[in-house]
Amino acid sequence: MSISMSLLSPPLTRFQPSKPHFTYKSTLSLGPTNPPFLLSTPKASTDNGGAGVSASAATVEEPELEQKTPESSDSVPMAENSSNGAVAAGGEEKVEVSKFGDPRWISGTWDLKQFQKDGKTDWDAVIDAEARRRKWLQCNPESSSNNDPVVFDTSVIPWWTWMKRFHLPEAELLNGRAAMIGFFMAYLVDSLTGVGLVDQMSNFFCKTLLFVAVVGVLLIRKNEDLETVKKLLEETTFYDKQWQATWQDEKSTSPKDD
Amino acid sequence: MASSVVFKSFTGLRHSSQEHPKVLHSHTNPISSFSYRRFRITATAIGGGPAGGSAAETLAKGGIETYLIERKLDNCKPCGGAIPLCMVGEFDLPLDIIDRRVTKMKMISPSNVAVDIGRTLKPHEYIGMVRREVLDAYLRERASTNGAKVINGLFLKMDIPKKGSENINSPYVLHYTEYDGKKGGTGERKTLEVDVVIGADGANSRVAKSIDAGDYDYAIAFQERIKIPSDKMVYYENLAEMYVGDDVSPDFYGWVFPKCDHVAVGTGTVTHKGDIKKFQLATRNRARDKILGGKIIRVEAHPIPEHPRPRRLSGRVALVGDAAGYVTKCSGEGIYFAAKSGRMCAEAIVEGSENGKRMVDESDLRKYFEKWDKTYWPTYKVLDVLQKVFYRSNPAREAFVEMCADEYVQKMTFDSYLYKRVVPGNPLEDLKLAVNTIGSLVRANALRREMDKLSA
Repeated sequence: MSISMSLLSPPLTRFQPSKPHFTYKSTLSLGPTNPPFLLSTPKASTDNGGAGVSASAATVEEPELEQKTPESSDSVPMAENSSNGAVAAGGEEKVEVSKFGDPRWISGTWDLKQFQKDGKTDWDAVIDAEARRRKWLQCNPESSSNNDPVVFDTSVIPWWTWMKRFHLPEAELLNGRAAMIGFFMAYLVDSLTGVGLVDQMSNFFCKTLLFVAVVGVLLIRKNEDLETVKKLLEETTFYDKQWQATWQDEKSTSPKDD
Repeated sequence: MASSVVFKSFTGLRHSSQEHPKVLHSHTNPISSFSYRRFRITATAIGGGPAGGSAAETLAKGGIETYLIERKLDNCKPCGGAIPLCMVGEFDLPLDIIDRRVTKMKMISPSNVAVDIGRTLKPHEYIGMVRREVLDAYLRERASTNGAKVINGLFLKMDIPKKGSENINSPYVLHYTEYDGKKGGTGERKTLEVDVVIGADGANSRVAKSIDAGDYDYAIAFQERIKIPSDKMVYYENLAEMYVGDDVSPDFYGWVFPKCDHVAVGTGTVTHKGDIKKFQLATRNRARDKILGGKIIRVEAHPIPEHPRPRRLSGRVALVGDAAGYVTKCSGEGIYFAAKSGRMCAEAIVEGSENGKRMVDESDLRKYFEKWDKTYWPTYKVLDVLQKVFYRSNPAREAFVEMCADEYVQKMTFDSYLYKRVVPGNPLEDLKLAVNTIGSLVRANALRREMDKLSA
């Protein structure tokens, strides 16, 4: 717990622990032209779904190979695949499809054993790795394959990891803001109506106001959010307007016809 | 039913035993049958798709003199061709026009998480895949056996009678070019006088243009029919795939649908029409291993309306189907709604004209719109909201696919798709679903923020 806490405080240091991990692998495995976490293979080599993954796993080191469950069909042409990968890197053929490869990405999921840290899974590293994978996929859409299905589900990452990482840094700010707004509104209501703070609690109007304030604080965190909310409202009513055009037409033209 | 023309005096009797109890029948005796003949109104459905076909059938059954104008009687429309189960029953379709029964759907997220949908389907439930040329031909054929005259012609324009009370019964004059086999390529220009016009001529509707119905936003759908090796076809035996992601389409989905002996691979978009080729390439790329070695046998593109036209009715001209803009968002489904709107419009005409004996006016046709909007507006709205929430961005799509893995969602989706009725759900399950969905959305968006930081 304490380790992951220290990991998430400033955004930049977050990647520090995983960084040496990557460079270490790149020097071992791939040519200097390739970014460390992706491996390009030519068309011929990817018709086998697991080729990209197994190739990258093959190029790393023995420990990963042991953890990989031995799928005989995948592991046989391994050497061949990695040589194909080398050809692609050499630029012999225009690469059509490349597959995401990472030593910790094994048969469609993150191998959580490799994310162990002090006997616990380092979920923050999993999030980092998944973000990196999605980023890569965004630029290099990958063909889906039935032989090598993606089974990783973000819901395996426990909720407190998300909470700690994405909500806590903001929570302080939101709490502070809510407290200030609440106090100011209570003061305002008191000064305008003369209803004291204690009486306000039993008042329906004041309860509504409180609710509005809390929702507002949650929704509008930045100034841009105000624009977003406005745009969303417009969007939700746009389709209604498109549909109701028929009936507006009736009202506007019928006096003309008569 | 073709006999209804011959044995007019019996129509009243025969109709009262029909399956449409709502249709009004006044008592018909031999004397009034003469006036019936004289005042029998004529109607034309322009366009021979599901909307025109079912409209013409209902009109003809209702005792109205019906014409149907269609240019290409063997037209293979670029269309996914999926019909819900309830359509088979409601329109009494023979089972042999259904090429494939899809019982499994795969949704594939931007990060290639594949979710199987359809586990909740009961053994007799399926999504029917039809070829449009077959379905359209069947519906037209049935209209024609019921007494509608099918004209192979191209509708050109329409003369609208001037407004005013003296013109209340004057006909619309349709100009069209008739092509009948023997004349070869060039057709013969003809005119036809009718009382009621149903515009069922699709997205580029000329009827809509001539009544100044206004435009709608449309999506462009691009589809390639690909003949794939038979060993790969086995996989698509009863399975359809949907791909979502920014690469495939910024606001719709890419699909692989099984057809009779090939698959249809396509995608659609509203916002980035210029990039449709790129999206198609991406769709093919996402399905690459599964369609490897396939040969493209046909390439098609077609506009898909996004919302109804501002004006769907003018005088005695009404729009139905794609011409009116009845395609759902999110799923892009239109066949059922086209056929249904055609029938509903025709029923309104039959009812308003008391089986063709009385001239109809705008208010009779307006009843169809009222009924339509009341019945289907919620469906359209729900799908619009779904599209806006879940096709917004890649993280939203990831959450969508995660949500679709839930059995309750699948059950609800299929129930509403197959039977076209909104079933109220279990509130507890709904709440659970809402919490899970928000969880998925939050996680996916958190990951996106992380991804944005990576590029910085």
